[in-house]
Amino acid sequence: MRKIINLNTNLKNSIGGNSIRKISDPWASIGTILGQTSIDDYSFHLKKFKAKKGDIVAAEAKQPTGDGRVVEVIVWGRIMEIISSNEFLPNEAAKELTEGNISIQDTILPLTKNDAICTVKNLGYTTNDPGQKLSLMPLNYPVYPGGAVKYPASKDLESLLNTDMKGKNPIFIGNLVARRDVDVQVSADNMVSRHVLVIGMTGSGKSVWVRRAVRELMVKQYPILIIDPHGDNLGIVQKATKLFPNHKIKLFYPKISASENNKEVIYTLIERLGNKLTEPQYDFLNWVLTKTDYEPGTSLIQYISILIQKSNAAAENKRNKSTKSSDGPGNTGASTMGVVSRSLRKVYSKLKEMEQSNISNRNKYPHLKFEELPDPYSQPEKIIQKSQVSILYLKGYESLPSSTIVSILLESLFNHRSAGNRTIPPFFTVLEEAQNFIPSKSEGQDGYPSVSTIKKIATEGRKFGTGLMLVSQRPYRLDETVCAQMNSYIILRLKNERDQRFVKNTMENWDNEEAKQLPNFANGQGIVSGQITNLPLTVQIKFDDDLTNDDIGDENFISDVQNWKESSENKKKRELSKDFDEVFDVDKRKPH
Amino acid sequence: MQNINLKNKKKSSLFANFVNNVIHKPSPEVQKNFMDVSLKIAGTIKKICEDEKLIINIPYQGKNFWNKGKNYESCFVDGGVFSSVESSSAPFAIRSKSYIVKPTNPLTDREKFEETIAYMGDLYDSKNNIYDLSEDPYEDNQLLNKKKDAARIIFEIACLVKHVFDKQKFDFCFLHGPLQTPVMPFSGPEFPQFKKQVVKNILPFLNFDKKEEKINERHFINIYFQSIQFLLNSKFPIYGIVERTNSSVYLKNLLFRSFKKGKVAENDYNKMLSTMIRYKINDGNLFSLILSDCQALRPLEVDKQIPTRGLGGFSEWETQITSFPKIHVGYLKTNSHQAPIRVESLKKSKDLIKDYEYILASSKLLPNYGFPAGLDVVDKAAKIPAWLGRAAKSYYSKYYLDLAIESKNSKNISSALKMLQGGRVWRNRPKAGKVKK
Repeated sequence: MRKIINLNTNLKNSIGGNSIRKISDPWASIGTILGQTSIDDYSFHLKKFKAKKGDIVAAEAKQPTGDGRVVEVIVWGRIMEIISSNEFLPNEAAKELTEGNISIQDTILPLTKNDAICTVKNLGYTTNDPGQKLSLMPLNYPVYPGGAVKYPASKDLESLLNTDMKGKNPIFIGNLVARRDVDVQVSADNMVSRHVLVIGMTGSGKSVWVRRAVRELMVKQYPILIIDPHGDNLGIVQKATKLFPNHKIKLFYPKISASENNKEVIYTLIERLGNKLTEPQYDFLNWVLTKTDYEPGTSLIQYISILIQKSNAAAENKRNKSTKSSDGPGNTGASTMGVVSRSLRKVYSKLKEMEQSNISNRNKYPHLKFEELPDPYSQPEKIIQKSQVSILYLKGYESLPSSTIVSILLESLFNHRSAGNRTIPPFFTVLEEAQNFIPSKSEGQDGYPSVSTIKKIATEGRKFGTGLMLVSQRPYRLDETVCAQMNSYIILRLKNERDQRFVKNTMENWDNEEAKQLPNFANGQGIVSGQITNLPLTVQIKFDDDLTNDDIGDENFISDVQNWKESSENKKKRELSKDFDEVFDVDKRKPH
Repeated sequence: MQNINLKNKKKSSLFANFVNNVIHKPSPEVQKNFMDVSLKIAGTIKKICEDEKLIINIPYQGKNFWNKGKNYESCFVDGGVFSSVESSSAPFAIRSKSYIVKPTNPLTDREKFEETIAYMGDLYDSKNNIYDLSEDPYEDNQLLNKKKDAARIIFEIACLVKHVFDKQKFDFCFLHGPLQTPVMPFSGPEFPQFKKQVVKNILPFLNFDKKEEKINERHFINIYFQSIQFLLNSKFPIYGIVERTNSSVYLKNLLFRSFKKGKVAENDYNKMLSTMIRYKINDGNLFSLILSDCQALRPLEVDKQIPTRGLGGFSEWETQITSFPKIHVGYLKTNSHQAPIRVESLKKSKDLIKDYEYILASSKLLPNYGFPAGLDVVDKAAKIPAWLGRAAKSYYSKYYLDLAIESKNSKNISSALKMLQGGRVWRNRPKAGKVKK
C-alpha cells in the first residue's frame, strides 16, 4: 500500500504535483448508486435528463488486487434501462386529465417529482491514476452503494473506446448513438484478418455499414471482393471511381466454369439442377460425365450441351440396336438414356435462363461496364489486386448456381493464398445475402458447395489473409458452424424473434436488455461487438451518401405504373379475346 | 379409515362453527329498518337544509376552471410521524410538510416540497410531570397514543402557523385533517408538557425568553389554543379537509339551530338525537344520501370544544377549553359514490363559492378518491418511510447509548444496549429444524 502511495506521489511530483488531475475529476456527477450492486450490474438514481439509455457512465470505486492491495479505479458501464416514475401522480389523475382534456401544467398536480432509476451493465474497470492508459479490465469487486455516478467527458470516453487502436489500423465507423460527439473506431487489422458477421433486417443499414467498411479499406488500398446477388453495391462503382481515381473498381458477371480440382462441384450442380434420377439413370449420368472430359476453364453451359449430345447419341445408338460398349454402362436402355438427356436439357435451359436474366439485369445499367469474371484459377490477379474492388453481380442466378459460382471462386482464391506463392495479396470478401451461400442445416439445403468452402475460409482464413464479412437479413437461416467462427458482429435492427434468438445463442455475453434494443434501432444504428472493438458499442454508423447512387436502389413502382403504356400486342390480344368470347357465347354445342 | 373420517367430520364442523361465528350477517329486517330510518332522517334533514338554504351547487368546469385556477398559489399541509422506541416518550421522529404549488410559475419555481418543521427525539418534558409511571398497561397505551396524536396535531398546526408567521401570500392553504380537534381528552393531569426547546422551535410567535413561564404554559391545550388564535390573523383562507368522518357535529348543530329557532319541537329534537345515536347516524353517511355530486352544505359555525365533567369535576382547563374560537364546518360532495368531505375553516369565508369550487376542482383531479389532489400529494410526501424511520431509530439509539455511557451508570448502559439489540420479537423465536437422515 505504501509503495503505491509513493509511486503516485512521485508521479504527481514529476508531472507537476497536484495540477495533474485524476481522469474522473472534472466529470459531471449525474447520480447516486442505489442499495445493492453486483459484479455485473448496478442501479442508480439519475439526475433529471443528465443521461440517456445507451450512455456509457463511470463510477469511482475500489478494487482489490491479487497481492492484497486496494486500488482506486473507474468502473465503466452502459445504461441499459431507465425507469421513470412519479409516485405522486395516481393513475386516476391521469385518466381525469385525459378525459377532461386538462393540461397537467394548469393543475396542482406535481410535475417535478419524476424519479429516474437507471440500470447499468458493467463493462469493466480502468485505473484512476493520472496519465494512465485507459485499458479496460474485468471487474472483480462491485461498486459501492451510495457512490457517485459520473458522466465521462467525450475525449476521455473516446480514448477508452479507441485505446490500443493505433497499432491496429483504426478506421472511423461512426459515433456512439447516445453520444454523437464521441467518435468510434474499429480495428481494420482485426476486421480483415478475422471475420465479421453483419445482420439486420431490410432497411436496417447493412449497406450503410458495408459502404463504410469498404470505403475505409479502399483508403488503405486493401483488395476487396464483393459477392452481390442483388446489385446492392452497384452504387459504389460510379461514385467510387470518381472518389478513388487511382483505384480499380471492377464489375464482373459470372461465368460458370471450374478448375480441374473443382470438377466435382460441376457434377453436383448438374445432378441437383436436373430431375430426380433413378439408380440406373444416375449410373448413366455418371458414365456420361466420366466419358466427357471437362476442359478446365470452359463454360459449364457449353459442357452440358456436349453432355446432351453425347447422351442423345448413346440413346440413338441403343434404339438402332448398336451394341457399342461405349454407349453406357451394362444394360442401360434407350429410355433411361433419354431421361438423363431430358434432365440435362432441363439443366441447360435453366442455366441459360439464369444467364439471360443476368444479362437483362445488367442491361438496365448501360452506363456500367460489366466484365466476364476471369478464371480465378488461372487469372486470380485480375480479380484480387491492391487498390482494386471487384464486385461479382449475381442477379438472375438462383441460389444453387450462385453457391456453385461462389464456391469455385473463393476456393480458387483461397488456394492461391494458402499455397503461399504470392500470386495475389491478402483480400477481404464481402458476402451479401449470406443465407444463400451458407444456409443452416435446418433449411434443408444440404450440399450447397459454398458451405464447405466458406467454412474452410472461416476456419483457416485468418492465417492466409482471407477475411470474410457475411451480410444477412435472416441470421437464423445461417449455418451455425460458420457463424461460430465469426469474431466480430455488427448487429442492426432485428424484429424477427427467431433472429433475435439466434443473436442471443451465437454471441457470448449477450443479455436480454441488449436484445430489447434490437427492434428499436433506427437506420444505421447497431451494436458493434467483438475483436474489432475494445468493448461492445451501440453506434450510429456514418452514412456515406457520396457513395450511394440515385439511379440504383429502390425501384419506383408507382411511377412505373403511372408511365405504363400497354404494348400493341397486348391491345390486340384483348380485342381478339372479346371476339372469341362472343363466339363461345353462341356456341350451343359446348360440353356442359 | 373410520377414525380419519370422523376426524375430518369434526374438523368440518369446527370450520362451519367458525364461519357461523365469524360472519354476523344482519337479518334483512334489520337492514331494511336501518335503510328506512336513514332515508326518513335524510328526508327530514334535507327539508331543514332546504328551508335554511344550506344546500348549494358548486360549478365544476374542468378544463375551463383550471384556465383560471392555474393562477392561484396554494399550499397543502400534512404531518408524518415515526415512533417505535419503547423507552422514549414518543413520537421520536415527526415532521410536517408543505406542498406549495403555483401552476403558472416556471417549472423550477412551480412547486415546492417544503419540510416546514421536523424534529427527532423526546418531545415531552419529564420535569414536574407524572411521567410514564402508569401501572395500568391499557392506560399507559392510551396515554402513549394521546401523546402521539397531540404531537402530530401540534406539528401540523405549527406548520400553518409558520406560514402565517412568515407572511406568506397564498391564495389558499389546506390542512389534511381537521383545523380544530376537541382537546378535552388531553386535559388529564397525567398529560405531560412539551419540552421548552420543542415549543420554541415550532411556534416562533410564542416568545418564552422575554417573560416568565406560567404553569402549564407548554401544555398541549395551551399551545394549541395559542396557535389557533394566531391563525385567526391569517391573510389567506385556511381550510382543514377531513376525508372520513364519524362526527355528527353538523347534524347536531343543525337540529339545535332549528330547535332554537322554534322550527323543531323540543320533544322531536331530543328523540331525533336519541335515534341518531341508536342508529349511529353521522354527518358522513347521512349527507351521502342528501347531497349529489358537486353539491355542498354551507358551513355552520359550531363549537367543537365542549368540556365534560369528569370524576373529579370539571378539568382545570375548562376556562381555556371554552375559550377556543368556534369553527365553520361545511360538507362538499366531490363525486357520486363517496361520502362528502368535511371542510373546516376558522373564519367565515369571504367567497365561499370560489373557495369550494377550488376544493372541488382539486378533488375532481382524483375522480375516484374525490379528495383534493394537493393533499394526496403532501400526504405521500409527509409520511416518514420505514427506511428513514429505521435510520432515525439507529441514530437515536446511539445517542441514547452515548448518554448512558456518560452517566457511567451500568444499569443505564445495560438498558441502552438492550435497546440497540431490540426487544423480544417473534422473529427471534428459535426455529425447529428437521434432522436430516
